[in-house]
Amino acid sequence: MKMSQNTPDKDDQTSTNKKTISLPMSRVRLIMKSSPDVSSINQDALFLTTKATELFVQHLAVASFNGSGKETNTLSYSDLAQTAEEKETFHFLTDILPKKILARDYLQSLDQMQDDDADF
Amino acid sequence: MASSSGNDDDLTIPRAAINKMIKETLPNVRVANDARELVVNCCTEFIHLISSEANEICNKSDKKTISPEHVINALESLGFASYITEVKDVLQECKTVALKRRKASSRLENLGIPEEELLRQQQELFAKARQQQAELAQQEWLQMQQAAQQAQMAAASASAAQQAGSSQDEDEEDDI
Repeated sequence: MKMSQNTPDKDDQTSTNKKTISLPMSRVRLIMKSSPDVSSINQDALFLTTKATELFVQHLAVASFNGSGKETNTLSYSDLAQTAEEKETFHFLTDILPKKILARDYLQSLDQMQDDDADF
Repeated sequence: MASSSGNDDDLTIPRAAINKMIKETLPNVRVANDARELVVNCCTEFIHLISSEANEICNKSDKKTISPEHVINALESLGFASYITEVKDVLQECKTVALKRRKASSRLENLGIPEEELLRQQQELFAKARQQQAELAQQEWLQMQQAAQQAQMAAASASAAQQAGSSQDEDEEDDI
């Protein structure tokens, strides 16, 4: 069964995310198969995963942008990292995006550790 | 590009596709470059997450192939239940569109005529075409023959006229 993807019809240009999918299913399949133990995937299941990934991108982007708190027109790395830390659903991302910490914070925590050692 | 190193873990969604989606989701928002790169990697991570979970569910169910149901259950158990309604809708929409397209194209081709009748009509057309071709070929051959004959006759009368002309000359000479 052929499914439409990539180039949406002229009619649904305004509702791309609703009617069709923009991510390449072939690439999604490759990524899925690189997961250990995954053997065969039904075509519809692949479609659902691809669409879910799209929704994920939108969800992550919006949550990070709104969660930045400050009046800004930029989405930054730390916005994303912060969202992953604060929102439970995005916790799984903390492995691949360590929150970049400021040098002074790091030095502070070092001092803290040294103090603790001194107590001992 | 991603497969040049041959390493499976380098597989990611194409950057351009992600950029386009972010642009559509957050128009007029500037997105830092390292943030974009991060989103690309988060996608891969998400896909792995869903596939692993769906795969586990699949294994438990004694089936060999990951089905749509497994994916939906995976989304549910991983806290992405909010996506379920929309992904199901889009799948249904796509199937409906594909079905309509198939119906429409077959309607156009058949015009309500059953297949055997179409085949019969096709054979008729072929036979007619063959006949016309044969007639045309025959006509051309006849024309060629006629042309050849005419040419022969013309050549014959020309040489006859020449001979007649030369004997006339001899007579004239005698008279003088």
